[in-house]
Amino acid sequence: MLESLELLLGGFATALTLQNLAYCLAGAIVGTLVGILPGLGPIAGIALLIPATFGLNATSALIMLAGIYYGAMYGGSTTSILINVPGETASVITCIDGYQMAQQGRAGPALAIAALGSFIAGTIAIFGLVLIAPPLADAALAFGPPELAALMVFAFVVLSNVTGGSLVKALMMVVVGLILGTIGFDPVTGDARFTFGTAYLLGGIEFVAVAIGVFGLGEILVNAAKPPAQLETRVKVPRFRELYPSLQDLKRATGAILRGTGIGFFTGLIPGPAPVIATYASYTVEKKVSRHPEEFGHGAIEGVAGPEAANNAATQSAFIPLFVIGIPFGPVPAILLGALLIHGVTPGPLLIAEKPELFWAVVASMYIGNFILLLLNLPFVPLFANMLRVPKKVLLPLVMLFCVTGMFSVNNSVLDIWMMLGFGLLGYLLRGWAYEGAPLLLGLVLGPKLEVAFRQSVMISHGDFGIFVNRPVSATLLLASVAALLFPLVKLMRRKKPDAAGQPVQRG
Amino acid sequence: MTAALAQLVLGAVTAALSLQLPLGALRLPGSGFFPLALGVLLMLLSAGQLARLVLARRAAPAAPAQAPAPDGAARRVLLFMAVVAVTTTLLQAIGYAASGFLLMLGLLGVLGVRWGVAALIAALSAAGAHVLFVLWLKIPMPAGPLGF
Repeated sequence: MLESLELLLGGFATALTLQNLAYCLAGAIVGTLVGILPGLGPIAGIALLIPATFGLNATSALIMLAGIYYGAMYGGSTTSILINVPGETASVITCIDGYQMAQQGRAGPALAIAALGSFIAGTIAIFGLVLIAPPLADAALAFGPPELAALMVFAFVVLSNVTGGSLVKALMMVVVGLILGTIGFDPVTGDARFTFGTAYLLGGIEFVAVAIGVFGLGEILVNAAKPPAQLETRVKVPRFRELYPSLQDLKRATGAILRGTGIGFFTGLIPGPAPVIATYASYTVEKKVSRHPEEFGHGAIEGVAGPEAANNAATQSAFIPLFVIGIPFGPVPAILLGALLIHGVTPGPLLIAEKPELFWAVVASMYIGNFILLLLNLPFVPLFANMLRVPKKVLLPLVMLFCVTGMFSVNNSVLDIWMMLGFGLLGYLLRGWAYEGAPLLLGLVLGPKLEVAFRQSVMISHGDFGIFVNRPVSATLLLASVAALLFPLVKLMRRKKPDAAGQPVQRG
Repeated sequence: MTAALAQLVLGAVTAALSLQLPLGALRLPGSGFFPLALGVLLMLLSAGQLARLVLARRAAPAAPAQAPAPDGAARRVLLFMAVVAVTTTLLQAIGYAASGFLLMLGLLGVLGVRWGVAALIAALSAAGAHVLFVLWLKIPMPAGPLGF
């Protein structure tokens, strides 16, 4: 514990250099903009900005990218509250009561509580990260290839279960992502696979093209498909003096923020789109424990405070599995993993021991970033909200220009732009067919890791698949995966079980 | 239905192409082993999804699968993509600034902005992007015949 705090102080020394402070500030500002602008969520936003970090060292790059991530989470609430349009999926739940508060002329207190809740939750969650990451990294050192393979299977199954749509569709997307991940050099033998004789595909599918295409361009095309009249947005931006919450607001929000922090922190440690699940869980809990549940949906401040706190706590704790085990549990940490690998950093149990300056500097920058975001999101929120006045019919082409520029700059290749366009069209079609893009991205990023872990496992055991069930950790994870697969089936059977009159019994 | 069929085909193609790679043995899997397993798994999942859709359609033939797209949506998306495709093709020949201008102009036009206003916004955006990305961030975007 004391050693961790000492190392954290060292991290502050690195993070507080003028250069790293500037990157943290830049990341927080850009992230806030990414969160505010509809059509550019954190996944596409981070992917788009990875090339901008190429000239930086790994620590500065990660400080900036992490800033964009939690900046986007802060910023996403602004559009939810002001225009009932979530800037990213984790802010969907904030729309319910946040927009109602804005309709009642209380947009200011809603924005202020969202920013305060995010700050408190983020700060507590980072403290949790400091406490549990080092011992967890020591424990993760015992993980061999079978445990890693089982953990990735568990992550895929849980993510597929919680994405909100059909489990089978989500699993199909995971497998499509894994198949895309096999294109290029075989990670074990070096053989070229599915390259059709082109040198372009030897390095594999560019994950940035998939991320920007499916998430950025896909969303742009969904908006472009709407009749031009539907692209108009009217927004009333609150003035600075209207931002202060009342004492009563603060009193009601405090408990919700603390509960949301706990829920968010632990949700970030399990596979899945943690911030999204955390906000839903927090909202449900707040409604249950409230003395005025009837106010929910009509502008209850707890309905903004709890989910916003949960969202940010989950955002911070989602870094733990990424840093400690090297396995991202959600799509945004998956993008960050890709960025880390580009910068020559391999996250995993040895990261804290081998690159302590990077790990602790990033953790320290999170504290600083949270403070910067509180400042940005309180006095400057009216300024950021003015971005919403830019008509979408101007914004969409501008974002497209950034996408083309960002994509080209990854490898200076026009082929990458074509790849992005292809995946953009796929992203648009997937939305129409109600398929989720997140499992595809996770499958693509983790595919090569899963294949290596699987092949190493069977090589160790001389072809005996029992290695996956004979070792307690991998057996437990696989058992949990099977349970997670069967859970929706059992739920469906219970719901469809006919009563004596032959009518299906509706439960819960 | 189309999505499940497309993925069934993708699974079959992956499995067929994997068979042309060395499969190895269980104790030492080759390059084709893992993709073959994935291809077969995707075929199984897609077949299951297709069967579910067929059964659901038989049970309620009139129910639409998804909300209908707005009128003219496909035309607008195709036009949008066509503008991006044309300007991407021209990028290396005419340079970043000119293709950026055409991209903005075309997209603004597709989205219903009046041509005069669109030309002004396109010129400002292309110039702004050139200053930001090429001059400030030093990203080596392709230069046209005029040097930018």
